Amino acid sequence: MADLGRAALVTALGLLAYATVAGTFAAWKRRRRLAASAQNALLAAFGAAVAASAVLLIALARHDFSFTYVSQHTSKALPLGYTLTAFWGGQEGSLLLWLLVLCAYGASAVLWTRRIARDLLAWTVPVLGFVGSFFAFMLVFVSSPFATQAAPADGAGLNPSLQNPYMAIHPPMLYLGYVGLTIPFAFAMGALLSRRTDERWIVATRRWTLAAWTFLGVGQLLGAHWAYVEIGWGGYYAWDPVENAALMPWLAATAYLHSVMIQEKRGMLRVWNMVLVALAFCLSIFGTFLTRSGVIQSIHSFAESPLGGWFLAFICIVVVASTVLIILRLPLLRAKTRLESLVSREATFLYNNLLLVALCLTILWGVIYPIVSQLVRGETSTVSKPYYNFFLHSFGLPLLLLMGIGPLVAWRRASPRALGKTFLWPIAAALVVGAALLAGGAGSSRVGVIAYTFSVFVLASIVLEFTRGTRARKALGTETWPGAFASLIARNRRRYGGYVVHAAVVLLAIGVAGSSAYQTVRERRLGPGDSLRVAGNVYVFRGFVTRREPNHQEIRAVVDEYDSHGHKVARLAPGKNRYFREQQVSNEVSIRHDWLTGANSYLIADQINANGTVDLKVLQKPLVDLIWLAGFVFVAGSLITLWPDAREERRLVERYAGAFAEA
Amino acid sequence: MPRNGSPARLVVALSVAAALAIFLVYTSIAGGGTPTLRPSQLPGHTGKVQLEGRIAGTPAGDAHGAGLRFTLHDVKGNATVPVLYRGTVPDMFAPGRAVVVSGRLRNGTFVAVPGSLLTKCPSKYTPASKS
Repeated sequence: MADLGRAALVTALGLLAYATVAGTFAAWKRRRRLAASAQNALLAAFGAAVAASAVLLIALARHDFSFTYVSQHTSKALPLGYTLTAFWGGQEGSLLLWLLVLCAYGASAVLWTRRIARDLLAWTVPVLGFVGSFFAFMLVFVSSPFATQAAPADGAGLNPSLQNPYMAIHPPMLYLGYVGLTIPFAFAMGALLSRRTDERWIVATRRWTLAAWTFLGVGQLLGAHWAYVEIGWGGYYAWDPVENAALMPWLAATAYLHSVMIQEKRGMLRVWNMVLVALAFCLSIFGTFLTRSGVIQSIHSFAESPLGGWFLAFICIVVVASTVLIILRLPLLRAKTRLESLVSREATFLYNNLLLVALCLTILWGVIYPIVSQLVRGETSTVSKPYYNFFLHSFGLPLLLLMGIGPLVAWRRASPRALGKTFLWPIAAALVVGAALLAGGAGSSRVGVIAYTFSVFVLASIVLEFTRGTRARKALGTETWPGAFASLIARNRRRYGGYVVHAAVVLLAIGVAGSSAYQTVRERRLGPGDSLRVAGNVYVFRGFVTRREPNHQEIRAVVDEYDSHGHKVARLAPGKNRYFREQQVSNEVSIRHDWLTGANSYLIADQINANGTVDLKVLQKPLVDLIWLAGFVFVAGSLITLWPDAREERRLVERYAGAFAEA
Repeated sequence: MPRNGSPARLVVALSVAAALAIFLVYTSIAGGGTPTLRPSQLPGHTGKVQLEGRIAGTPAGDAHGAGLRFTLHDVKGNATVPVLYRGTVPDMFAPGRAVVVSGRLRNGTFVAVPGSLLTKCPSKYTPASKS
């Protein structure tokens, strides 16, 4: 069995190496058939990766403890679902998942692009092959999931915090995001290598980038929700290096998604886009390096592994190669037009990009600060929450504001008069709500009030855009109001899908501001019958209940929650689980959702004492459910922009037909 | 097309300068990060630091009462330091585990910032080979 897996990996490595070498040679010497064979090697490598993954899945399902990986990450008592998701519960499996996803993306990008723009693939295939070869090499020589041993009677089991339904979905989503950023990178480098630096590579990769970006965003939100319901400290994001590792490429990709529109529309920012796409890809590899190398201390903590050096070398190669390539091709990347006015749509995109990149780089600085301070001062120093919050406020709040301004500013040049007229309503709405919030006592957090006011401004400007567009369509013809609204979105999927994503970001901002700036925390030791009052509500501890499950024992503190009128609103049961095989305890929080206001009562049984008392911690978190709602809106908006649009395709084909003939 | 004096360049230059200024203001006010030390490096540091080490012996006391007392052992040496801690104790807290905790040294005891204790969980990702 294990031999089959190893053989599949070696085959994958061979095929990917062939795709790199043969692809390079074919592109260099313009050999059509050789190029086709390199493409086919990439397709076949996907088959080999599937075979290797199947072997590991079967070994997991069969509890085949002769596989070291299986015995280290599962046990007989582990439920089947978690036994299978243990596929990515450890390092070797995660690398295999990475390779599998990369090959899947690569193969589908080849199949897709082969039909419409074969010439773009010439240098893209070797770049994809090179990245794939690295991961296949790691799996074959450095960190194999198919190492075998004399089978022990039972395995070590899975870390309890990974025994959670989110385990099935969060890591694959993140990987689909991280790895997906390889596609635009490979096409960008392919465009540079082949000197075809027109906008076609951007058009060809637009949906891939959007999909990867959506997966990365959703993956992070799922991770945040997982931390919120499972880790049990009452938060969802801790500026931990591993969390930042996923946020940084997402920010870079967000900047990229915006700036490519400028390149498509106005032929500007061409060098900048190359830099951004390379940055996003490097950051996604850097993220993997961070999580795998143990070079930076994190609560996700990892044992130090030999992978670090390899990843570092790979990152260096990618950074140096893409930098050199961009510099060599600078003459080809001259902007076709220049910025006409600092008050224009282009300019707001530029500001948005600078803010996003500034935020991304300050986070990066925070992440590598321990290493830098070790090198410079010989003492490891870390920056924490205040550092990150400061820059989130300095760069994030202006970004939020820009999200409301950008869509309403005209392309090329906007007149101050027109601007005043356009912004009248959004500004009025924001001021009214801001004043009402201050009157209502929200002034306890200045940042919170600013965030809310900006959010209202953005929402008002989005609503304004939708109203104006719908009214214009209604005036055109015979459509009903809902019909006009639907056709407005259907005909401009990118634009209005984008606005929906903006609305999601606003919801996220409101949720984050509400739950962090206005939360209430109380804790106290309670005996049976004792109560704790938090922000008007009363929590009464009733006693403990215990229950035995196949692989763990549950203990729960039963707590009744009463509202300010003395009505019982819920029975909550925070507690702990004790896992037998893993010999670990996990905290199990209990959350009451108020569906109307989005507020949560978040209960933690912090310490369960032998004398029958419990140290109960209660958090009242307003608006926190908006964060999760934002996730759904985000996906909806992304789906609108991703949805195939025959009209748009035709427009693009016509537009780039000229460029194609030129090439 | 003349490229000199493009407003885009001006904006980029000004924004980069602004971002740098914000950054410098922050670092000069906050004075950089918190040092992370091992027990052997602790003597001489009176300010707030992060201490990392391995839990030696059996922790005693009540983290939600008078405080939990335990000893941290240097991961690389033999130095130890007693720690007094109040607040949430992570699930993974157990003798032999590596932990990180913030606080400052007072009269030979490391007095921790309440709620700052973090455990490192070595079981999530294991090293590829233990050779």
